[in-house]
Amino acid sequence: MIPLEWFLCLSAILFVIGAVGVLTKRNAIIVLMCVELMLNAANINFVAFSSYTGGLTGQVFAVFAIAIAAAEVAVGLAIVMTLYKARDTVNVDEVKLLRW
Amino acid sequence: MFAEYAWLIPIFPLIAFVIVGFLGNKLFKKAEGGAPIAIIMAAISCVLSLLVAYETLTTGEVYKASLEWMVVDGFTFNMGIYIDNLTALMLIVVSFIATLVVIYSVGYMHSEGEKKRRYYAIISLFIGVMLGLVLASNYLQMFIFWELVGLCSYLLIGFWNTKPSAASAAKKAFLVTRIGDIMLMLGLIIFFVGFKGNLDFDYIFNNVDLFTGGDSLLTLGTFLIFGGAIGKSAQFPLHDWLPDAMEGPTTVSALIHAATMVKAGVYLVARSYPVLIETPDTLIIIAAVGGFTALFAATMALNNTNIKRVLAYSTISQLGYMFLALGASGYLFAVSGDPNVGYMAGMSHLMNHAFFKALLFLSAGAVIHAVHTEDMMRMGGLSKKLKITSAVMLLGCISIAGIPPFSGFWSKDEILATVFETGAYNTGFYLLYAFGIIAAFITAFYMFRLWFLTFSGKPRDQEIYDHAHEAPKVMWIPLVILAVLAVGSGLAGILLGMEGTIEPVAYLSTMHIASGIDMIVDMFQHPLTYVSIIVAVLGIAVAYLMYYSKTIDPARISESKVGKKLGNVLLARYGFTAGYDLFGIKVIYGISKAVDWFDRNIIDGVVKLISLICTLVGKLLRFVQNGLVQTYASIVVVGVSLVVILLLAFGGMF
Repeated sequence: MIPLEWFLCLSAILFVIGAVGVLTKRNAIIVLMCVELMLNAANINFVAFSSYTGGLTGQVFAVFAIAIAAAEVAVGLAIVMTLYKARDTVNVDEVKLLRW
Repeated sequence: MFAEYAWLIPIFPLIAFVIVGFLGNKLFKKAEGGAPIAIIMAAISCVLSLLVAYETLTTGEVYKASLEWMVVDGFTFNMGIYIDNLTALMLIVVSFIATLVVIYSVGYMHSEGEKKRRYYAIISLFIGVMLGLVLASNYLQMFIFWELVGLCSYLLIGFWNTKPSAASAAKKAFLVTRIGDIMLMLGLIIFFVGFKGNLDFDYIFNNVDLFTGGDSLLTLGTFLIFGGAIGKSAQFPLHDWLPDAMEGPTTVSALIHAATMVKAGVYLVARSYPVLIETPDTLIIIAAVGGFTALFAATMALNNTNIKRVLAYSTISQLGYMFLALGASGYLFAVSGDPNVGYMAGMSHLMNHAFFKALLFLSAGAVIHAVHTEDMMRMGGLSKKLKITSAVMLLGCISIAGIPPFSGFWSKDEILATVFETGAYNTGFYLLYAFGIIAAFITAFYMFRLWFLTFSGKPRDQEIYDHAHEAPKVMWIPLVILAVLAVGSGLAGILLGMEGTIEPVAYLSTMHIASGIDMIVDMFQHPLTYVSIIVAVLGIAVAYLMYYSKTIDPARISESKVGKKLGNVLLARYGFTAGYDLFGIKVIYGISKAVDWFDRNIIDGVVKLISLICTLVGKLLRFVQNGLVQTYASIVVVGVSLVVILLLAFGGMF
């Protein structure tokens, strides 16, 4: 059996890749995809702990998280679409109207 | 049986106030601005007052009734009626003179136009609250009415409110009496604490020994209460508002500033007599202030040429006599334990003075009505034109001068006799007796100076003289009624035994009541009586020589170097007016400016500094919001990471 630590290491690596992507990438679509990476890192943790402790709660929670992630992507992509229509760009650095 | 309806007495004039004051100009345009309503209501309460007073004075029973007004923190405040012989006396004086004055006003205020309605409304309000004041059953209720009469006084002094001098006189009267009112309020607070929250006259007068807090606190309390009387009754050093109050209509001067409201102070002291006799120190102060004021105010009347001002000074002086009487009588009782006539003398002087001073003021009003000036230097020889007025005013002058058997003589002589008697226990009272005698001389002099200057000799201003005319019937009939009382009230009071009935509860009827005739015989066997008569006659004689026969030329005195200086000092009211102004402008305004500076710079400065810091910090911090979502996300990540690291390092989670 694969020890729990390996799963945790994998999810940590995935989470950090996602976080760095969110913070550094300029393309709004890639930012959205990196958010997905972070969510899935969390899902791995849920499932790993669920199998490790023997309960089903973690797996149910992961399914919920996947559903919510799908909804979030739908909304996020819609925003990116309208943004592109209005401003002709999907670069997040150029979208900074709401400031002092 | 009538006393049960006594609560109606103040109600009727108040109804008149509401009707006349609120029911429009149009309704009363044709009816003298509501005068008939005011007269009828005043007359009804006058009849009721006389019935109640008659009942109380004949049966000698004290009527008291009260309702619970409000309960605060376990303290009960009552509203009620308290009628004893003193109340009865005040009821007679107030309601009777008020009715006559309102009738007289129909003539005097005839040409005032639309303002008449305001006049009759406020004067009705005044009559109502003044009657309420004398009927009050506890100090708090009395204080409420006390303030209300002050308000009416303010409104009526400033009746001609477009005249700057009247407006400022009204303000002055209000502010100066306010000093006294604050003292009175402090005194009442001391009473409230000392008598455990009960301010009812009935309770306090029967339980003076239950005062908690010691003798010195009680003395302070009674002194502060007397402070209220000083303000309201215009005694030294708060006397200065009364001469200025003459800016109001003469009827107002007669009713409020001679016969009734200024007597409220005397009434307060007389009412508090059972408490005062426990504090002889306060009584000495009362007598000293009264005696000094009697002389002090009289001197200022010596060379004044304004007919109403002379009468105003005379009022202050006569009020001084009343305080002198109450102080001396109380002190005499406190040290000797024997009842004396001083209290009754003071109270009957209050009544007699109300009659003859109202008469004098209303006569002066008739003169002013005829000649349209208050300056006596422009009058003269008016007795040919104003026959009735000059005759009744002469009676008033004789009465105030103290010539027997006119009313002023009896009470003034008894006051002086009491003061002299008290001198046996405290030699200071001999000095006050001397003050009283000198003031009596001056009073006789200036009253007859006033009469001679106004009515005798040759007219000094022919044009004014030619236009002068006798007052209408509605004015001289009240004058004649008052003249009868001014002549006879003193003697009638003694003969009917009223002097014996008006005695304080504290004496517990140990007073030996001599019959009227005996009292008069006693008086004329006493050598001091002749001193007062001689002094009064002397005063009249000097005035006669100076202003009628012109044997002594008054100009020679007033033009001499010393005379001129002295005259200027008197006209400047010993510098009191200037002193008040100086105090008001320099000291009070100076303090105000300092306080204003402190407020603007220190208090506002702190507030402004705080707001400045907030704005600056806000200006700096707003650059954090740069609109880049990724910056915000970085901050969140860094923050959360820091929290986690700190928890791991110091939180003791592992």
